[in-house]
Formats: sequence, C-alpha cells, structure tokens
Amino acid sequence: MTTTPSPRPDGSPPAAVEAVGLVKTYGSVRAVDGVSLRVEPGEVYGMLGPNGAGKTTFLRMLFGLIRPDSGTVRVFGRSWAESGVGVLEGVAGFIEAPRFYPYLTGRQNLEALALLDGGASRGRVEEVLGTVDLADRAHLKVGGYSYGMKQRLGVAASLLRDPRLLVLDEPANGLDPGGIRDMRALVKRLASGGLTVLLSSHHMDEVEEICDNVTIMARGAVAFHGSLPDLRALAPEPGHLLRTTDDVAAERLALARPDLRVGRDGDTLRVAGQRAATTGLVADLVAAGVGLLELTPTQTPLEELFFMLTDPAGTAPTGGAAA
Amino acid sequence: MSAAVRFELRKLAAQWRVRALLLAALLGPIPVALVMSAQANPPKDTLFGRFALDNGFALALMLLGFLGQWVLPLLTSVVAGDSFASEDQHGTWKTVLTRSTSRNRLFWAKVLVNLGLTTLVLVVLAASTIASALLVEGAPALTGLTGQLIAPGHALWLVAAAWLSVLPPLLGFTCLALLMSVWTRSSAAAIAVPVVLALAMQMLGSVGTLEPVRPFLLTTAFESWHGLLTDPRFTGPLLEGFVVSAAWAAVCLAGASFILHRRDITGG
Ligand SMILES: Nc1ncnc2c1ncn2[C@@H]1O[C@H](COP(=O)(O)OP(=O)(O)OP(=O)(O)O)[C@@H](O)[C@H]1O
Ligand SMILES: [Mg+2]
Repeated sequence: MTTTPSPRPDGSPPAAVEAVGLVKTYGSVRAVDGVSLRVEPGEVYGMLGPNGAGKTTFLRMLFGLIRPDSGTVRVFGRSWAESGVGVLEGVAGFIEAPRFYPYLTGRQNLEALALLDGGASRGRVEEVLGTVDLADRAHLKVGGYSYGMKQRLGVAASLLRDPRLLVLDEPANGLDPGGIRDMRALVKRLASGGLTVLLSSHHMDEVEEICDNVTIMARGAVAFHGSLPDLRALAPEPGHLLRTTDDVAAERLALARPDLRVGRDGDTLRVAGQRAATTGLVADLVAAGVGLLELTPTQTPLEELFFMLTDPAGTAPTGGAAA
Repeated sequence: MSAAVRFELRKLAAQWRVRALLLAALLGPIPVALVMSAQANPPKDTLFGRFALDNGFALALMLLGFLGQWVLPLLTSVVAGDSFASEDQHGTWKTVLTRSTSRNRLFWAKVLVNLGLTTLVLVVLAASTIASALLVEGAPALTGLTGQLIAPGHALWLVAAAWLSVLPPLLGFTCLALLMSVWTRSSAAAIAVPVVLALAMQMLGSVGTLEPVRPFLLTTAFESWHGLLTDPRFTGPLLEGFVVSAAWAAVCLAGASFILHRRDITGG
C-alpha cells in the first residue's frame, strides 16, 4: 500500500506538504483555484484567508476526504495516487470542528481511535489527555462536552498519532481568549519540539505570532506566499484616526505634510505614514492651536495588508490610507 | 483490517440500540409464546397455526413464518441501517478517515461486524423462540406439511434448520440496509426502506401474474424452509434462496462500496 517517499533530486528530504496546482470546484464556485504551496519539515506554516477562501477545502484534499479536480498534493513525498492512505502516515490533525462519538466518553473515544492507529498504550492516552488539560473530564460522555473541550480533545486525538505533521483547521475557532492563548502556546510548544505544523486561520495576529511562513488565500487563489518578514515589508504604513477641535484646520495641516497620506473615514480624519510623520503632525497641530481630542491607531499594518490582499475591490475599511 | 473491526465492535458495544436489539431477541419470544398459548382458538389459516396452541414445534415454525414478513428485516436494519449514516450524523467520517484507515478497510469492517451481529441476533432469537415455545406448549410429535408425523427429536432438528435457513435472506437484507445507509446517509431512511421493500416484495410475490419474478425476490427465500417439513423433503428452494440472497448481497455491497469510495466527505 505505501511506497517509499522519493527524496528530491538534490537528495534533501521531501517537503512536508507540497501542493501543485490544486483545483476543486463546486458547481460554478472555484473553491480552490490552482493553489501551489510548500511546507518544509519543521516549520509552522500558516494558511490565512477570510471565510470561503478555500482553506478547509485545501486541507480536505490533503487528507483525501475530497478529490481534487486537478493538481496533486504530496505529503512527505507521498501522493494519494501512488500511496493511497499511506499518505497519512505521520500526519494528524482535524478539519473544521473536531467531531467524536457522543455516546463514548472522551477517554473511550481516544481509545477507540487508537485502535485504528494500531493501538496505543493506556499511558499514552492519559498523557495526551494531560497535555490538553482534559484528564479530569475524560470520564464524561463527549455528547456533553463544550465546544472548547471538543477542540482540545481534537488536539489530543491528533497527538495520539505521534505525528510528524500536524494539520489544524482554525484551531482557535470558537475558543475563549484563555483558550486561544492556551492553544497558541500549545502549538508553539509542539513546534519547538520539531513538529511540522500547517494551520489555517482567519487571524493575522495568530499567524504573526506562531508562523514562519504564510500563504494568504482569497477566493480560492493564493494572494501572497512567503515569509513573515517578506509580508511585513509589504505592509502599508501604520494609520491613525484623528479627532480634533478643528478638523478643517487639522486636515489642511495634514495635507501640507508630504510624508503623510490623508483620507477620511466618515467624519473622522485618517492619516497614514511613518511614526515620525505622525508625531510631526501632532506637533504642527499643537503649534497651530488645534486641540487633539483623540489619536487612535487603525488596524495593525499586517491586518490592513490582509484586507488589501484578500479584498482588492476595496470594500474593506482600508480606504485612502491603504491606497 | 482487524484494527478497524475491533474499532467498530468497540462502538457497537457502547450503543444502547445494540443492547436493546439483543435483549429484544432474547426476551421478546417469551411473552409472545405465553400470549399465544393463552389463546382460545388456534390461527388455523396460518402455516402451522392449526397446532400452534398445543405443540411448541408448530408454534416456533408459525412464528418464523410471521417474522419473515417484516420483523426480521426490521431487526437487521435497526443496526445496519445506522452503521454508515451515523458517521454522517455525528460528522465522524473525517475523524476516522484522517487516521490512516482507508475507506475500503472501514467499509469491510462495518460489513463484517453487521453480518456478524445479524447472525448473532438470529441465533439468539431462534434459540429463545424455540425454547420458549417448547417450554410453554411442550414437545409432542409434529405434524408436517404433508400430514406426516415427525418424532420430537427429529422435529427439533428440523425446526432449528428452518430457523437457520432464513439466515441467507436475512443477511441479504442486512446488505440492503447497509446500502441504504451509505446512499441516503440517514438512519431513519435506511431502517425504513428495507422494511418497506420487504413488504412490497411480499405483495409482489403473492400476485399470480408475477409468478416468474417470485424466485428472485429476497422474501421468497424466507419461505424456502417449507420444503424441510414435507415428505418427501425438497431442498431445491433452499439452494435457490441461498443463491438469490448472495446475489442481492453482492449487488448491494458493490453499490454501497462504489458510493462510499466516490463520495466527497464534506460534512461534519
Ligand atoms: N460541500 C460544498 N458544496 C458546495 N460548496 C462548497 C462546499 N464546500 C465548500 N464550498 C465552497 O467553497 C468555498 C471555499 O470554502 P471553504 O470551506 O474551503 O473556505 P474556508 O476558507 O475554509 O472558509 P472559513 O474560513 O469560513 O472556514 C466557499 O465558497 C464554499 O461555499
Ligand atoms: Mg474553513
């Protein structure tokens, strides 16, 4: 059933994930439209995109749950066409919200799933339950679990496989702030142990915090592909919203500075530029006797970039500052 | 493969519907036998009904004739119909299929486990029915379908064989329920359709002009044991029933496997 993964021509080990030209259409919707990406062993890779970008569809194809219309995906050098289910050797994770048998307890679910993997020792089940902090609830039926508990059980079920590649589809979805923090800490901890992680997310800050490389998807296609430093280099200058005692004068002063770009967000003045330019404007306002009531940063530059990349039509609240 | 079978067994063992089914097969025949023996008049129109009130063998055979109409298909569908559909209902296809288990392995594990469970249910039901009937009404010599008298020792053997003979068509219905379970992805539909089809086949089989299709109906095989209770005995229908049941099972499983392998797992 399984074939030995072929090393690359230069003899280096195969990529953890290598997708080439993946396409999946549902009727007229091109859910995934020619996506190619490559996840190197040992890195934490982020797939970022708004709702409906095609992240889940991509991951379903990776797991063989759906068949691509065209293109291939290789995991550690193995493809579905050649290796069948052997592709999933060393791979674990979950798609959307993890699901379990509600009539079994958390522990029984893990024990049953471990049977499919060829069995796991009782100690190992307890160990992963401890890792995700579920040991004291493991005797309860999953039917009564909260969303966050099921999410954590999903991570436990994945870890049970001792994966080399962990695939998580929006792991923080539906978690409370504490749960999100714990989940990110867990992913970082696992990654520092050498595990390769491919994770999808809506949130730039999540990807920024834990990922090495990122693919940003929009409407099925890749909008950006590269490292976080590359991404930061693309980000627009930080923007600020401004409320003053005299907005007309403030706007005139802002427009007079060549190092600032000026726009309006409804009634509120918006400026974008390097920090020195913004502080320069504040000095100008004070000098002109205009009172500064409020100076609020707009979205972080990366968030702003995310909206630019995924919504080029400009309906996102980036406005002039991003142009 | 054995890993997937153990996985399926583990799940079945935890389900109330499986326990309820086995309990019903074990205990259900007792009140039925008691109620029957308390009747004033025997159901003369039914096969073996004439002696059903004072002969345990006749009662066990009469009940077998009755169960074959729709109760047996229902018993097997209750679990088999749920088998694939419950993975859809719980959204757990993705949970199991992301663990290096191929669809093929999981499919055959479910098939094997359901065929095994159905066999177990039939054996329990047969043993319980025969035992209850004999205990309640005694075990005198049985009058066969051609009026011959069958000694109790031999009758017991024939009654057990008759019950066993419904296993092939019953497993055919199991496969039908499995097909419906894969196809409709709904437990309710996969439980109801085999029962409705059993009744429909029963009716078709009784229409005189449709005599040529009768041998190909799964329900006809439920009656192939009649030949065991005649003198001389004829076993042709048993063989025919076996072949027809196997054909139904093969077609249903091929269809189910085809559907399962082609489908996209997008739910859950
Ligand atoms: N089973 C399906 N049938 C029809 N269309 C589908 C199906 N699954 C996905 N789609 C469509 O494919 C597109 C991509 O969906 P997908 O679930 O992959 O997006 P996503 O990036 O995971 O979004 P989200 O952030 O909301 O989870 C969407 O337009 C969606 O409507
Ligand atoms: Mg998604």
